[in-house]
Amino acid sequence: MNLLRKQLVPEASSKILTDNKPLGNLFNLSMRLLWRDWQGGELRLLFLALVMAVTSVTGIALFTDRLEKALLLESANMLAADRIVSGRGVLPEEVLEEGQARGLRTAEILSFTSMAFTDSGNMLVAAKAVTDGYPLRGDVIIAEEPFVRGRPVQNGPSPGEVWLESRALSALEIEVGDSIFVGEAELIVSQIIIAEPDRSGGSMMDSAGPRLMLHMDDVIATNVVQLGSRVSYRYLFAADEIGELDSFEEWFRAREEWRGRYYIRDIREESEEVREALERAESFLLLGSLFAVLLAGVAIALTAKRYSERHYDYVAILKTFGCTSSQISFIYLSIQIALAAIAVVVGWLLGWLVHWVILIFLESLLLISLPEPSIQPYVVGAMTAFICLLSFALPPLLALRETPPLRVLRKDMSQQKIGANVPYVFGILGTIFLVFWYSQDFVLTSVLVISVGAIALFLSIVSYLFLRSSGSAGMKAGSAWLLAMTAARRRRKQNVLQVMVFSITIMSLLILTLLRTDLIEEWQAQLPENTPNHFMMNITQNQIEGIESFFVENGIQGNQFYPLISARVTRVNGDLPDPGDEDQVTASRGTLTENAQLDDEIENLELEGVEIDSEIAEAVSGPQTDAPPVNGEEATTGGRRVRGQLSRRQVTWAEDLPSENLITEGAWWGSESQPGYVSIEQEYAEWLDLKLGDSLEFEVNQQIVSAEVSSFRSVRWDNMQPNFFIIFSPGTIDHIGATFLSTALMEREQKILLNDLIRLFPTMVIIEIDGLIEQIQTIIAQVTSAIELISILVLLSGALVLLACVNASLDERFHENAILRTLGAGKKLILTSLLIEFASIGFVAGLIATIGAEASVYYLQEEIFEQEFSLHYWVWIAGPLLGMLIIAGLGVNSTRKVVNISPLNVLRGVI
Amino acid sequence: MRTVLPADNEHMIETRNLVKAVDTSEGVLTILKGISIHIAAGEAVAIIGASGSGKSTLLGLMAGLDGSSSGEILLDGYELSELDEEQRAILRGQLVGFVFQSFQLLPSLTALENVMLPIELKGDAQAREKAVSLLERVGLEERWHHYPNQLSGGEQQRVAIARAFATKARILFADEPTGNLDTATGSKVVDLLFELNREYATTLVLVTHDDRLASRCDRKLQLVAGELVSDESTEEAASA
Repeated sequence: MNLLRKQLVPEASSKILTDNKPLGNLFNLSMRLLWRDWQGGELRLLFLALVMAVTSVTGIALFTDRLEKALLLESANMLAADRIVSGRGVLPEEVLEEGQARGLRTAEILSFTSMAFTDSGNMLVAAKAVTDGYPLRGDVIIAEEPFVRGRPVQNGPSPGEVWLESRALSALEIEVGDSIFVGEAELIVSQIIIAEPDRSGGSMMDSAGPRLMLHMDDVIATNVVQLGSRVSYRYLFAADEIGELDSFEEWFRAREEWRGRYYIRDIREESEEVREALERAESFLLLGSLFAVLLAGVAIALTAKRYSERHYDYVAILKTFGCTSSQISFIYLSIQIALAAIAVVVGWLLGWLVHWVILIFLESLLLISLPEPSIQPYVVGAMTAFICLLSFALPPLLALRETPPLRVLRKDMSQQKIGANVPYVFGILGTIFLVFWYSQDFVLTSVLVISVGAIALFLSIVSYLFLRSSGSAGMKAGSAWLLAMTAARRRRKQNVLQVMVFSITIMSLLILTLLRTDLIEEWQAQLPENTPNHFMMNITQNQIEGIESFFVENGIQGNQFYPLISARVTRVNGDLPDPGDEDQVTASRGTLTENAQLDDEIENLELEGVEIDSEIAEAVSGPQTDAPPVNGEEATTGGRRVRGQLSRRQVTWAEDLPSENLITEGAWWGSESQPGYVSIEQEYAEWLDLKLGDSLEFEVNQQIVSAEVSSFRSVRWDNMQPNFFIIFSPGTIDHIGATFLSTALMEREQKILLNDLIRLFPTMVIIEIDGLIEQIQTIIAQVTSAIELISILVLLSGALVLLACVNASLDERFHENAILRTLGAGKKLILTSLLIEFASIGFVAGLIATIGAEASVYYLQEEIFEQEFSLHYWVWIAGPLLGMLIIAGLGVNSTRKVVNISPLNVLRGVI
Repeated sequence: MRTVLPADNEHMIETRNLVKAVDTSEGVLTILKGISIHIAAGEAVAIIGASGSGKSTLLGLMAGLDGSSSGEILLDGYELSELDEEQRAILRGQLVGFVFQSFQLLPSLTALENVMLPIELKGDAQAREKAVSLLERVGLEERWHHYPNQLSGGEQQRVAIARAFATKARILFADEPTGNLDTATGSKVVDLLFELNREYATTLVLVTHDDRLASRCDRKLQLVAGELVSDESTEEAASA
């Protein structure tokens, strides 16, 4: 009989062991569970975490998407175009035609210096001829009267007209409507230029005097521009589609024969400061959104874990009713997908709201109107929710399918098959994917993953050790303390995880705060309020006193006068110099007036008998194209290229160390200086492989001078101050004769004094960079605001993680404390012990976070943001203190319910 | 040891030399030591024994909630050890109902939804009507919209009984169904359980340490330290 039945089994199996549960019913069940869990509050934190992830990512992405577009647009305004083609001599017509054929908007600029004449006087002006399309981006601000605010226009002067800068009118003693001669052409002054968008993007010629703008059609009539004249041509291009510009740029760069002669560039190449500010801001925003997502991910992981733990019983019961593991997966997958879909929609709305609020806050700061966002931020937001869910929430939820049905009889049975670490592996993989997806940068991804991994490992070891020792530390400190410490010790494993999560959260917040503060401080330090905005060159020794007293009389803030003389290293310890890698010295050097063609344009530029060469520009703002050329390579000597020599440098001598120069080796000579010594910029010294005590031979004005290297200096090139590679001790080259260089800060209303200054000292050359400084300061202010607001979003994500983390331990606490209260423990005792437990966890987390934050900031500043690192002492107090206060506050607030509800309810499983 | 074999009925449940051993830190612990029993269709059998004697383990094995270490279990002719967990789940869904000591209602579902759950999982469109009629049958028609935590222990167990019979399971496993109830409530719940059992002609396997409850079954199997020490009909026991 039995044999017979056994044989029947396969047949019977095929008959009744077919699962016929309709998917629709399972889906209905999952939606009902979702609704009930939602009503019961089970899913709220998980939902909130998902919403937070989508909100922060969508909000940040929307904001950065629009801001980035706007900043690029604003930056493009600094060029008056999206792309500029420039180069030596007349540019090929073909470039312009190609741009037009591709549907790009185009314009042309021709810059030259010229004398402008009126009946009452004449002056050297920086002339700029423009075609009809100019400016393609930004506005020219013009007015009918000098030195007023003006109104924006998107065009240049019409043929027959010129626009002049305010101070030129008083110098030439004319008014709007008068006529003026430029070369041989007589033109009518129709407007006054208050500002032009691409003032900073020009060449040295554009800074050599007040601006005179004329129409391109009038250039021939002036007869100023002839064969061999020093002129600078520029073609401007703009388009609404960035892709069109990129493909045009590709086409241009593919022309081998133009390489080295003609250049194409956008704002990022145009100004090092703007490029750096934008890149750093982008890195920061990227890092900010990464942290926000990461924190939301941790919150999701924690809440999902708790949710799944609370569902073991459900699954066991469902299994006793015949639900298979795959059906369990289907049910919980449906719940999660539905939840994520709702979270995505809510997150999108909130994200939009967040970015809108940010914009309202920034309204006064954002002087630019933001372009509409693309769809990308919404896609990124939705993808983030699902990736977060997949990597952080699904593993614990899918582990539910392994819950043994026997759990209905034995509560202690939980899922066995899936390893406890599997969820973390998924989380880590998901995180790596997200980091890579956002940054699109393999190196940054590896660096972040490795460092966060190392930090997590370090944190877990430290927090484990700390908690292990905490048990004995509290033995003598009274019962609440004892209770707290034994509780902390008993839950050591969970607490290590908690401390780790808390630490990483606090650490992320600290890192962002520190970076933010340092970035902003550095930017402000780079261009402080009183940054000199005018350079004066070609000053003779006997003019110095007069200039100084002119400044004092007119309330202008003047600065130190540096002698300036051109010199070249000819021998190092008697041998020919043997420099190293060409790129070394210029690698990280940024200058405000840097552009690659500058030295070409200003070679041998004769300005009223003054020779300005590339090295004057270097002294003003840092090295230009500078890898100091190698032996056998082309070298620039006073503008003429000579083979086999090091290039000439503008050198100086000084008694005092210039500000923002630091001695890195050796000693500065000080007030009792002796002639015959020289101080060398450290990278230049490395490039020439110099050592202290080396004897150098220089050729200065056809004279040979020897000096001993007495110190190496670090120089801050981006501070818009005169900087020098080579400084001699007083008395070494003084006899050779030099001109002087100085800087001054002139407010807008003082600019008219430039006319008097030039009249008094006609040989002096003044370079005006005030417009440029203002533009950079505006951009930095905008970027700073963006950074501050994103920090707030990350802060909110962080708070959510902390809340999720505290909540994750609630069930156990409820149960334990209910038992304690049943056994007679008072509310006060329990609350005090909770306070102590959370406060000590918070303290440890804060301390560890501080260590981790300082280490990370050190790395980030050195490697990513290229800043100098210094310890932040306040963080060492604020970190642990904040950790203690926040965790204790959050913890006690969340667990207060523990003592406020009846222990009976807890023990009956109502909570 | 006497074994009573049902004369005419086919065996609904049969175990042969069933052994369950688990690894502990102190070595292998054998919880069940070669249990062989037969339970006929429609029979009500009580498994009795002290705490730790292996009653619940035996029930879990017979219901296919866990796997044995050796031996065979046949449930309505199906050899459980030949089925994987997925197939056992399907078999449970088709064949088996449960009543637990701790009720095991889903806290986020109402009484009605708890009863509807197994009917719905079977794909029955009449789930609601059937569940309502069962709740009326157990006297909870007024409280169907309440959640488990709003019901007393006795009421929760009545919901669990309604749920157990909802799919007309052919075998009902009850694990200490009165264990969490006071005597008066327990007795009412047990009356209801036996009443429905007769009505639905279900095979009942009941684990208890309550001898009076066990006496209401057709047979009593007594376990002591994992061994079956007696297997006698309650009539025989009463006459002995």
